[in-house]
Amino acid sequence: MNEAVWVLTLAAAVSAGTPLVFAAVGEILAERSGVLNLGVEGMMLLGAVTAFLAAAASGSPWAGLLTGMVAGGGLAFVHAFLSVTMRANQIVSGLALVIFGTGLATFLGNPIEGNPLKPSVVDFRVPVLADIPVVGRILFDQDPLVYASWVVVGLAAFYLTRTRTGLALRACGESPETADAMGLSVARLRYAHVVVGGLLAGAGGAYQILARVPSWSGAGTTAGIGWIALALVVFAAWRPWRALLGAYLFGAALAANFALQAAGVNAIPAEFLSMLPYLLTILVLVILSASSARKRLGAPAALGVPYAREER
Amino acid sequence: MKNGTPEARSAVEARGVSKAFPGVIANAGVDLSVQRGEVHAVLGENGAGKSTLASILAGLYRPDDGEVLVGGEPVNFGSPRDALARGVGMVYQHFRLVERFTVAENVILGDPRQPMLLSTRRAENTVAELGRKYGLPVNPRASVEDLSVGEQQRVEIVKMLYRGADVLILDEPTAVLTPQESENLFETVRAMAAEGKSVIFISHKLSEVLAVSDRVTVMRDGRVVARAETADSDRRSLARAMVGRDVDLSVQRAEKAPGAPLLEIENLNAPGEGDAVPLTDVSLTVHAGEVVGVAGVSGNGQRTLAELAAGMRKPLSGRVLVKGVETTGRGPKATRRAGLAYVPEDRLGTGLAPSLSISENLLLTRPRPFFLKRKEMADTAREAIRQFKIRAPGPHAATRDLSGGNAQKALLARELSDGPEVIIVASPTRGLDVGATQAVREILDQRRRAGCAVLLISEDLDEVRSLSDRILVLYEGRIVHETSGEAANVEDLGLAMAGAG
Amino acid sequence: MQLRLERRLEKTHAGHRVLVTVLSILAALVLGAVFLSLTGASPLLVYPEMFRAAFLSWYGITDTLAVAIPLILTGLAAAVAFRMQLYNIGAEGQLYVGAILGSWAALALAPQLPKPLAIFVVFLFGAIGGALWVLPPALAKAWLGTSEIITTLLLNFVALYLMRYLIFGSASFWRDPATTNFPQGKPLPEEAFLPVLGLTRVHFGLAVALLAAVLLFVLFSRTRFGYDVRVVGDSPGAALYAGISVRRTIVVVMLISGSLAGLAGAGEVAGIAHALDPAGLAVNFGYTGIIVAALARSSPFGVVVVAVLLGGLQNAGTALQSIPGGGGVPVEVSFMLQGAILLCALAGELFIRYRLKTRQSVVAEILEPTQQKSGSATTERAQP
Repeated sequence: MNEAVWVLTLAAAVSAGTPLVFAAVGEILAERSGVLNLGVEGMMLLGAVTAFLAAAASGSPWAGLLTGMVAGGGLAFVHAFLSVTMRANQIVSGLALVIFGTGLATFLGNPIEGNPLKPSVVDFRVPVLADIPVVGRILFDQDPLVYASWVVVGLAAFYLTRTRTGLALRACGESPETADAMGLSVARLRYAHVVVGGLLAGAGGAYQILARVPSWSGAGTTAGIGWIALALVVFAAWRPWRALLGAYLFGAALAANFALQAAGVNAIPAEFLSMLPYLLTILVLVILSASSARKRLGAPAALGVPYAREER
Repeated sequence: MKNGTPEARSAVEARGVSKAFPGVIANAGVDLSVQRGEVHAVLGENGAGKSTLASILAGLYRPDDGEVLVGGEPVNFGSPRDALARGVGMVYQHFRLVERFTVAENVILGDPRQPMLLSTRRAENTVAELGRKYGLPVNPRASVEDLSVGEQQRVEIVKMLYRGADVLILDEPTAVLTPQESENLFETVRAMAAEGKSVIFISHKLSEVLAVSDRVTVMRDGRVVARAETADSDRRSLARAMVGRDVDLSVQRAEKAPGAPLLEIENLNAPGEGDAVPLTDVSLTVHAGEVVGVAGVSGNGQRTLAELAAGMRKPLSGRVLVKGVETTGRGPKATRRAGLAYVPEDRLGTGLAPSLSISENLLLTRPRPFFLKRKEMADTAREAIRQFKIRAPGPHAATRDLSGGNAQKALLARELSDGPEVIIVASPTRGLDVGATQAVREILDQRRRAGCAVLLISEDLDEVRSLSDRILVLYEGRIVHETSGEAANVEDLGLAMAGAG
Repeated sequence: MQLRLERRLEKTHAGHRVLVTVLSILAALVLGAVFLSLTGASPLLVYPEMFRAAFLSWYGITDTLAVAIPLILTGLAAAVAFRMQLYNIGAEGQLYVGAILGSWAALALAPQLPKPLAIFVVFLFGAIGGALWVLPPALAKAWLGTSEIITTLLLNFVALYLMRYLIFGSASFWRDPATTNFPQGKPLPEEAFLPVLGLTRVHFGLAVALLAAVLLFVLFSRTRFGYDVRVVGDSPGAALYAGISVRRTIVVVMLISGSLAGLAGAGEVAGIAHALDPAGLAVNFGYTGIIVAALARSSPFGVVVVAVLLGGLQNAGTALQSIPGGGGVPVEVSFMLQGAILLCALAGELFIRYRLKTRQSVVAEILEPTQQKSGSATTERAQP
C-alpha cells in the first residue's frame, strides 16, 4: 500500500502523542487541585517498566497497563503525602520522585533490558471510519489505547466544567481558603487528583512500552516526554481538549525524526532531529509567556503553594 | 439543659471559649449569647480576639476549651460546612470567594444539595431572587473578579442566605464600603433581623455599633469586659471598656499655615498594570507642614498613585517633583535621595522582607556598603527598637514574627531615620490596636509640625479625617473632590467615594 | 489525645536542623535496608561493605573525593539558585557544555600556554560554557516569567545530543580521528592535565570547588549582592520597593549557577577523562547536585559535606557490583537511595518548621498566663 509519507507521519504523530495525552491530562487534574507534580517522568518510566514486567509475566498487555497505572499512582501517592500532609516544597518533592522513580525503574529494568516484548497491543481498525481517506488512516487505524485517550480527554473536560466535584476541584486550585470555608476537604481532593494524575502518567508510560517501543532501554525509554507533558499542560492552559491538540503537535515533532530519515533526508544529522522536540517545547513556552505576560496564563491561582488552615 | 420555650433558647451561644495560636492567646473564657431576631455587636479594638471568636462560631476553628451551642444544644463543628448545616454562616473580612468563578458558582460551591451534574440555571434564579428580597442586587452570571468590593460583599451575604443561614456573622463589614453603602448594609441587617435571623456584627467602630445593634459585647485582650443594651450605652463608656482607659482620639490639625510646596504631582496618567488601576490626570500638591489625605474605597488607584509618587513606576505622562526636583520615574533610590520616604500599605510584602531580620530590614531602603557591617546594623536596630518602643526579642528577630503595630513601627523607624521632608504613608494604622494607632498618628503629627509634607492615602475615612488638613477623594483613578479638613462633610465625601459626588 | 501542628516562631538552631537531616538519612537507610532484603541482598552485608568501600580505604576515600568534586560544584550551582527560589535543573546540560568548551580550550589553546595559564583557561571556558547554556532560560525567566524549571531541564537533553553528535555523529574537532570503530574524544594535551594528588584521582578541581564554596559563602552572607539576592528571593515586592532590579538579579544568579556547573564539566574533562567522553560525563552529576543542595539546605559548607557523603554513596554503588553474597547489587541502588534520602528529608522538614502539640498543653498555656515567656515578640495578647 503506497501511503504518502506525510499521512504515515501524522498517524505516527497520533501514536507518539498518546503517552503525552495521558500524562498531560493527569497532570492537569493534579495541578487544577493546586499541586504541582514534577514527578511525571519518574511515574511514566516506572509505569513503563512495571507494565513490561507484568505483560511479559502474564501474557496480557492489559495486565501490563493496569500494573503500570498502579505503579504511577503509587509514586504519585508519595508526592501527595509529602505535598499535602507534610507541606513540603512541591518542586523538590517532584524532583526527588523523578530521581527515585528513575532509579527504581532502571533497577527493575536491568534484567530485561533490550528484550522484546511479546504480548504487545494490537491495532484496531474502526470499521467504517477507518476507510475515510487520509483522516481515516490517521485517526481510526490506531490501537485501542489511542481511542481510550480520547475518552479520557472528553471525560476530564466534562468532569471539570459540568460536575459538582469538578467545581470543587477548581476551587481548590484557585482559592483553597474559600474551598475550605465552604466545607470542602482540600486535602482529600488534592490527594485524590494527584493520585489520579499518577495513574494516568503510569498509563502513558505503559502505552509507550506496550505499543510504541516494545523493549526496555533504561531511562531512554521515555527520554524526557514526562517533562514535555509538563510543558504541554501550560500550553493547554490547563484544559484537556487543548492538551490533546498540543500532544499531537509535539507527537509530530517526535515522529518527524523517523519520517525524515525514512524519506532519506540525510542532510540533517540524527542527533539534531532528536533535539527538535525539546527545542520546540522551549520555544512554545517562551512564546506563550511573551504573549500572556500580562494575563497570568490561566494557571490555577494557588498552584504549588501548600495549604494549611491555621490548625483547628 | 434546655429551659423554657423555643423563643427563650438562644440562637447561638459561646460558653467559656478559649483559643490560642503560636505565641498568642486569642480568646480566654469568652461567653456570648445571641437571641433570635437580634443584631448583636461584638466590639473591640484590633487584636481583641473578635474575629477568632467569630471563626470558632462559624466552624473554621475548634476551640481549645469551652463549648458552642446552637439553639441551646452543644455542637461540635468539624468544619464550616457543619456550621452552615446548623444555620451559622460567616462573611469574612477577606472574602472567601473564587475570583475566576461566577457569582452563581461561588454560591453553590460545596453545597451538598447540588446534584452531581451541576444545574447552574436554577441556582442563578434563586440567587437573583434572594438578592431582590433582601435588597442586595447581584448579577448571578457575573465573574466575581469583575465586581467591586461592595458588590462582592453582597455576594458573600447572598451566599450565606442561599445556604440557609439563620445566624449571620459579619466581620468588619464596613471596612470596604462607602458611608452610603454602609447605610444600605445596616438596612439589610435590620431586615434580616426582622425576619427572625440573628446577626452578629463584629466591629471596632463605635458609631456603627451604636447605629445598628440591639446589644453589645465588648472584648479586650481576648476576654469579654462588658455587656450592654445598645439603647442604654454611650460612646464614652463603650470606648473606655474597649480600650481599658480613657482615650483621646480627637482630630489633629496643623496649627500653622502651610509653607512651600514640597511634593508636586502634575497631570499624572498611568496605565493599569495587572491589578493596578489606571490613573487619569491626577494632580495634587502637598506643602511643608501640611497633611493631605486621599480618601477612597479600595481599588480606585491608591496603590498606583503611591507607587508613581514614590518613583517605583513610570507614568505615561505627567510629572512628580520633590522639593522642586523632578523625580518622575527615576526609581525609588533617586526619589529617596531627593528627600521622599514611602511607607507602603503592604507592610510585610513590600515595606519589609518578611524572612529577613529587623536589623537587615532597616537597611532595605538605605544605601548599602559592598561588605555589610553586621555589628553596626545590629546597633542601629537596637537603637530603633528603643526609640520607637518596638516589642521584639531583639534585632535578629524576623520581621514576619512581629505584630502589625510593631512592624509598622519598624517601617516608620527606617523611613523616618534620614529626616525626609516628604512622607507618603498608605493606610498607616490599618489593623493596629488603639495604642499603636495613637503612636503612629502622633509621629505623623509631629512630622507635620516639624515642617514635613505628608501625603496620607487611606481607605479608612476616619483615619483620613482625623489627621488631614485637606482631603481629596480618589475614584476610578481620578481626583473627584477636594475639601479642607475642617469643612469636610461625611455625606459629600461618601458620595464622591462612590462616584456620585 | 489530639495532636496539632503549630508553626515554630523561634528559629531552630543549626544543631536541631542537622539532627533532623541525620534522622532522615537514617530513615532512608532503613527503608533501603528493607528494600535490599526484599531483593535478596542482605543489608547487613551490603551497608558495611558500602561504607568500607567509600571511606575506609585509601583508594576508597580518594575515589569518593574524586566523585565529590563535580557534586560540590553542581550542588553549589543548585544551591545558589535555590536561595532565590529559582530552580536550575539544567546543571546536567550546563556541565556537558562546560565540558565541550573546556575541552575545546584544552585542545586549541592550551598547547601554546604555560601550564598554570592553560589550566586557568580550561576552567574559564568551562564556566563560560555553563553560563551560555543557562542564559536563554535565565533571560526568559527574568523578562517573560517563563518557568525556568522546564526550560533548563529540556536543554539537558539538547546538550546530551550535542555532545553525542560531536563525538559519535560527526568528524568534529573533538573527535579523535585515530578511532573509527568506537569513536572517542581526542585526548587532551599534557598541558591541560590537571595536577592530581599522588596516584589518586583527586584532581585540582577539588581546590576550585572548595574555593568556590568559600567565595559563595562570603558573597551571600556578607555582601550587598547577597543581601539583594535574599530580598528578591524573599519578596519581589520588597525588592521593587527597595529599587533592586529583580531581572538583573535573576540573570546574574542564574549565570553564577550555570558557571559552577560548567566548571564541573571542565574539571571532569581535564582531570579525569582527559578527553571529551560523553558516556563518562552523563552520570547524573547535575541531578545529584540538586539533591545535594536540597539536603544541605543551600548552605555552601553543607553542600561540601553532603557532596562527600553522596559521593561516597555513588562510589560505593559502583563497588557494590562485585561484592560476595550480595548477588551483585546493581549500581542503580545508590541512585534510589539518594532519592529516598531526599524524600525522607523532605518529610523531616516538617518537624523543623512546625512543632507537635497536644491539646492539653495548649489549654494549659491559656489557663496559666504567667507561664508565658515575657519579652517575646508577640506578647501582644490577642489576635483577631
